[in-house]
Amino acid sequence: MKTYTYPKNVETMTRAGKVIPAGVYGHLGPGEGCMIPTSAYPFFVDHAKGSEMWDVDGNRFIDYMCGYGPNVTGYCDEDVDNAAMKQIKLGNCTSLPSHIMVDFAELLTSTVKKDWAFFCKNGGDVTTFAIMIARYYTGKKKIIFVNNYYHGVAPWTQKPDSPGTLPEDCMNSLYVDWNDLDGLKKVIAENRDDIACFISTPYMHGNFVDNELPAEGYWQEVRKLCTDNNIILIIDDIRAGFRLSLHGSDNYFGFEADLICFCKALANGYNVSALCGKEFLKGAAGSIPYTGSYWMSAVPFAAGIANINKLIAGDACAHFKAMGERLEAGLMKTANELNVPLVFSGPPALFYMRIKDKADNFLLHQEWVAECVRRGVFITNHHNHFMNLSMTKELIDETITICSEAMDVMVKNHPELFK
Amino acid sequence: MAIDVKTLAFVNFYAAMGTLEKYVEYDENARELAKRQNINVRFKVLGGGPDGVLIFDDGKVTALPYDKSIKTDIVLICKDPEHFNKVVEGKAMPIPVKGLFKTLSFMGNAKSPFMVLTDNMAKLMRQKEFTDPAERELSTKLAFYAMVAGIATVGNHDPIARYAMRRIKNGEIILGIRDVCYATLVKTGGNGEEAKLACVRQKLNDGKAFMTFDSVDTAKGLIDGDLDAMACISSGKLDTRGHMLMLDNVNKILNIVPKYLA
Repeated sequence: MKTYTYPKNVETMTRAGKVIPAGVYGHLGPGEGCMIPTSAYPFFVDHAKGSEMWDVDGNRFIDYMCGYGPNVTGYCDEDVDNAAMKQIKLGNCTSLPSHIMVDFAELLTSTVKKDWAFFCKNGGDVTTFAIMIARYYTGKKKIIFVNNYYHGVAPWTQKPDSPGTLPEDCMNSLYVDWNDLDGLKKVIAENRDDIACFISTPYMHGNFVDNELPAEGYWQEVRKLCTDNNIILIIDDIRAGFRLSLHGSDNYFGFEADLICFCKALANGYNVSALCGKEFLKGAAGSIPYTGSYWMSAVPFAAGIANINKLIAGDACAHFKAMGERLEAGLMKTANELNVPLVFSGPPALFYMRIKDKADNFLLHQEWVAECVRRGVFITNHHNHFMNLSMTKELIDETITICSEAMDVMVKNHPELFK
Repeated sequence: MAIDVKTLAFVNFYAAMGTLEKYVEYDENARELAKRQNINVRFKVLGGGPDGVLIFDDGKVTALPYDKSIKTDIVLICKDPEHFNKVVEGKAMPIPVKGLFKTLSFMGNAKSPFMVLTDNMAKLMRQKEFTDPAERELSTKLAFYAMVAGIATVGNHDPIARYAMRRIKNGEIILGIRDVCYATLVKTGGNGEEAKLACVRQKLNDGKAFMTFDSVDTAKGLIDGDLDAMACISSGKLDTRGHMLMLDNVNKILNIVPKYLA
């Protein structure tokens, strides 16, 4: 199988490095994106369609990162894009919001079974707003986080050693382990009158670690503890939202959040995020000064309406699950044949992979992933992956073929380990 | 960002004086100079500062934490970390409580071997312009070893850096300039109060994370602050692999190290 080279990608990155910090900063960049080694990866896309993308060198990739989540109905989906194009001709960022903001809020709240929706742009906008609402409503200041969390990059989400964050930004942070109800009870008991909120993802999809689902009864007990102690329960559904259930991941796991944050899969890549909540917090949400120049742009609302309707019509979550299961079965078959200790974790729609090597240093895993990328399957090393509605059985099977060859190459590179 | 004087004292002993180990290993003239004295010098810094021994033995130099099993020829007391930091800057003298005459010979004047060695090494590490490529490489290698020792020391003592140090998983982190020189950070003690980073000035065999500069130029650029790590990763000049969370936390400490090594 042909392996890719990236001369135009490298040339573009060289130009980028002169005018953009780090060339490409953030999670799409080689550093935070854990592109290991960088020579195996493209850096810039030329175009994308459905589940595929083509880089600036013309290399084609089957893409399982989906823009780190936003691609949920498929790149350049015609239904979503047509709705957006129609709206752009009617007006986008206008002096009054478009009436379709109301249509979108009605559709979203009825879909995710909440009473109101507040729109922003990025995930960090809505997690931050959720914290502000919780503090304002309860009059308390402390936040309980679950270790290995990610809720954005605002200082309140960071540790004191993060550049740009002050120790004072973290003074009200409390930490518990995932699925640790005893630890949570202890923290609540020790800070009973100070805790404004408990914020968590619906399952542990932290990077670098096998993803963990909630233990039986975990969320129901957390819900009760929060209610009993006047703690606002915030679910960060930015990554998992609309991939496990269109009704919100709290519904999927059988409990009800007070506030739930959506972003990535809301509008198939059009820039909108939403905080949805229960009636008793609507007044607080309306009282806090919180706004942004583009938060009421109409084009993303139009895209969001088309996107959600398409996800509902396509029974999207069942499709994500089926595609994820097919991929896992195919890759595990190869791994078993080659004696490679490949581990899948998390739900199939958002599968996380790891080769469990004896040295516990990820080198074999990173080598395999690099060989996959060089052959046209875009995956990353230490982040969960994403399924989308345009994914087909044929693309899954092609992926299995490519990743199997890549695994064979990795195995042959290490005869000392795979005899 | 505030400098913690106690942390600076540890950096001055283990990262700055400690780099003499590599200076005398690489530089023949320095080694000859070190051979002039076989002596064990204890620096005891009161007020929570380092209590360490600088060992000169047949041209080799080692900086170790003080241990009763180590015979000392000289014992020098500093009343607090600030006092020790002034000693290192050449603005104060320590109080000799053992080996007064040896102390005068060891560091009593600008021509004594210890003073010449530390002065020459500091000048070489701070030098910006070089006519001799070998000298430039030596300067970069010494700065590299000071940086790695600085990561361990700052991680153990700086109040902010300790957050990151404690989160590093136990194990070995290999840092290096490709085909030139390597060092290892060894994390032990989990994420509690016992957590500790140690610097070994060679490549160990059980690395869990790896950070490799592609050349002396890249290493020098990053150490001098002329290049940034993320840009170097993007351009392929800095190769990182293995347990990336370990490196992420090392980087957080590394961000703080330059203020202590300046």
